Amino acid sequence: MDKAAIDTYAQPLVKFKIDKFIIIVVTICITIALVFFMLFPIGTILKMSFIKEGGFTLENYFKYFQNPRISRSLYNSFYVSTITMAITTILAFFYAYALQRTTIRGKGFFYIIAFMPLIAPSIMQALALIFLFGRNGLITAHLLKIPWSIYGAPGIIASEILYCFPHAVVILYTTLSAVDTRLDEAAQSLGASSLKVFWKVTVPSAKYGLVSAAALTFNLTITDFGNPVVIGGDYNVLATEIYAQVTNLFRFDLGATISVILLVPSICAFLINYYITRRSFALISGAARPFLQPSRTFKKWGFTIYCALISLAIMLIFATVILGSFVKVWPYDWTLTLKHFDFPSLGGYASIWTSFKVSVAVGLLGAFFTLIAGYIVEKKRPLGVEFLYLLSVMPAAIPGLVMGLGYILAFNEPYYFFYGTPWIIVICVVVCNFTLGTLSSVANLKNIDPSVEEAAISLGADSVRVFIRVIFPLSMVAFVQNFIYFFMRAMTTISAVIFLVSATVHLAAIEIIQLDNDGWTASANAMTTCIIAIVVGMLVLLKLLAGGRGFAGFGGATSAPSA
Amino acid sequence: MSKDLKLENITKVFGTLVAVDRVNLEIKEGEFVCLLGPSGCGKTTILRMITGFETPTEGKVIYDGKVINNLMPQQRDFGIIFQSYALFPNMNVHDNIAFGLKMRKAPKKAMIKRVGEMLDLVGLYDWRKNYPAQLSGGQQQRVALARALAPNPSVLLLDEPLSALDAKIRVRLRAVIKRLQQELGITMIYVTHDQEEALAIADRVVVMELGKIKQEGTPLEIYKFPKSSFVADFVGTSNFFEGKRQRDKVRFKDWEFLVPGAETMAADEIYLAIRPEKIEVMRPGEMPEEAERSNLAHGRIEVITFLGAVVRLVISMDGEEIICDVVEKDFELKNLNRGDAVDLYFPPEAFLAYPSSSAEASPE
Repeated sequence: MDKAAIDTYAQPLVKFKIDKFIIIVVTICITIALVFFMLFPIGTILKMSFIKEGGFTLENYFKYFQNPRISRSLYNSFYVSTITMAITTILAFFYAYALQRTTIRGKGFFYIIAFMPLIAPSIMQALALIFLFGRNGLITAHLLKIPWSIYGAPGIIASEILYCFPHAVVILYTTLSAVDTRLDEAAQSLGASSLKVFWKVTVPSAKYGLVSAAALTFNLTITDFGNPVVIGGDYNVLATEIYAQVTNLFRFDLGATISVILLVPSICAFLINYYITRRSFALISGAARPFLQPSRTFKKWGFTIYCALISLAIMLIFATVILGSFVKVWPYDWTLTLKHFDFPSLGGYASIWTSFKVSVAVGLLGAFFTLIAGYIVEKKRPLGVEFLYLLSVMPAAIPGLVMGLGYILAFNEPYYFFYGTPWIIVICVVVCNFTLGTLSSVANLKNIDPSVEEAAISLGADSVRVFIRVIFPLSMVAFVQNFIYFFMRAMTTISAVIFLVSATVHLAAIEIIQLDNDGWTASANAMTTCIIAIVVGMLVLLKLLAGGRGFAGFGGATSAPSA
Repeated sequence: MSKDLKLENITKVFGTLVAVDRVNLEIKEGEFVCLLGPSGCGKTTILRMITGFETPTEGKVIYDGKVINNLMPQQRDFGIIFQSYALFPNMNVHDNIAFGLKMRKAPKKAMIKRVGEMLDLVGLYDWRKNYPAQLSGGQQQRVALARALAPNPSVLLLDEPLSALDAKIRVRLRAVIKRLQQELGITMIYVTHDQEEALAIADRVVVMELGKIKQEGTPLEIYKFPKSSFVADFVGTSNFFEGKRQRDKVRFKDWEFLVPGAETMAADEIYLAIRPEKIEVMRPGEMPEEAERSNLAHGRIEVITFLGAVVRLVISMDGEEIICDVVEKDFELKNLNRGDAVDLYFPPEAFLAYPSSSAEASPE
């Protein structure tokens, strides 16, 4: 053995002085970044709503509640959110039940269809419903010839149900997969009827999932902006009221005040969800077995028809929007045309290009920083890591619209060089979706044997090289999943960025609202179609590159922003 | 100066738990030392303090005459072998072994040469392009050995390296490790809870319990002269009798065993230990002439277990269960069967006596 030759270079080559501090420095940097880009804007909103002329006051709140037209938005928001929550949770529960607990055919198909709404902005549902049930709707005005139209509360509720459905299905699908089916079998063997088993065993054992799905649906609905702004008409909700106050009336103080009011139910829903998710992990037992006894014919047909109807509704939404962007005049002239793709708005195709670039940046930065945050939280645990963890999960409690408003209030100063550039949009979307990215990174890192990291260290690797050569390659799948998640959010989000687009920076998702506002409804559909095409294209591309691995966690990456 | 490793009064406290309690240990260069003990005895914590993954609460880790408490693991010239192999799943065998050399910025030529040597050393040259997931557990641990040895560390620390493997492969790989240690003359510190493994492999065994060293010595010393009932029980198998001292005899139930040196012991309550292979099992009436009468007992064979070269008998002695090991040839010769009445002889010099109040004092 050439011992001497080895000895000559067997000196430590690590920059140890730096290495001792690098984790602490990175932790501090991420913590400061989150404080600056999350707490500071939210603090600015609180300040603006509570402080006037240098003193604490509730004047804004009195003003809000004294004006019946505005304060009505609080009631409206609760009204539509509660109804959406109830209907979506029930629909999603039976859908997830069919996928997990029955032996119906076509489960793979139904599964994919359920998640389709995630690839489109939360405005598509409203656009499609207007084409179908609006004043000039295909079904209402032309097939049934009735004067009824869907604008207002029914429209918001219908579109929000379709929008929230996949989020609720993800949670309930996981819950039902985790509960031991042998409980059901045991109950049946004791002589309980199927219906009794369902009510006394299945439903109670899924109660955490049900509460969690309900809380999430409520949160998504009350904070959504895209659907109500298009289909709500005169029916104002909190989110649209914030926008109206700020954009039309320049009442930033009232906008901030309504934001704070919106924060309250949103934070409550988040806390419920957070608490429940922790509890329900205990229920996921290793003994859970996916064995299913064949469902009886009646049950099988019942659930097949049920799933088919819901899938049909989702596909109808997509078909309407896509078809609507290719026909001359919906619903009178069905000649196919591409003229709606000559976008008459300011942004046009440039906005799609900007959206794409912004989304790639959001995808890369989001996946990267949540991986580092997850690494620090799960593996390194330096002093003060609890604070970083808290900051990392907080964004899920803050509605995108509120965050966006906070950004323009906090950063509208000449020395914030990123203000008015696409970078502020990138930062805002990354921060808004930080929670789920961090949680999925943590879940992935938990699977990496701590000895592997120690082995690398003992062989002489410093923290940076351990991360680059071992942790990062082993986190590749999670990284791609997170990239997809952040990319989709950036392409489709409306609420987080509506305040941040400017005369020079246009985004595709915002163009939809503008086109619709200006009466170019078909072009709004065309823009939506473009976004869907880009997201689908990216998914297919990554699936090809990752050899299918990118899709493995598709369901996971899309689960609950406040999981 | 030889590169000795020394632990001085080393203590590690986790919260309220004292995992390692003022341990002193000296390990000479080139020595093969086994830390042996039940789980939770602090042996792995000691190893982690030597590696640098844990910092001692008190005390010093001294290597080559220098206190290394505050050196980072990368700065210590130690190789580590983990129970879970801890190979990098994203690299093939060659790249795994080359990792430590890359970290030291070794020239490419020397690196390839060294990795080749290491592959030959563990006999895995043909597997160099494979990924860890394509290898068996034994092969993976051999890769881990090659990887740890490649940068030529002066100390190799092994944390239960064979626990995850099958019994057969365990014994084979044990021999590989022993051979490597002797060929390379490298210091090895080996942690295990398997007493058989420790006795088979080490130059020196350090038996630990509850964060403290109970005894250290050569495998033979530890096995033949356990200093406490804990060591006698943990290392090998022993029969125990708890009795009262009466002059030169120890009274246990109806028996009075002659135990040399019992009269000089301070305590009255005595623990007697005797190894199963020390007890003589005979057909009734075959007692040797010179035997001490009082150390004779009668019993009945309850269970017979073949262990290969020896046969283990469980013999009931007035309801007291005694384990005896008989060489297979004798067993056949004496034609012993289940239910047979037998005579048992406990040679006086085979007894190890401990005061039962403190299991620590040395035997007489």
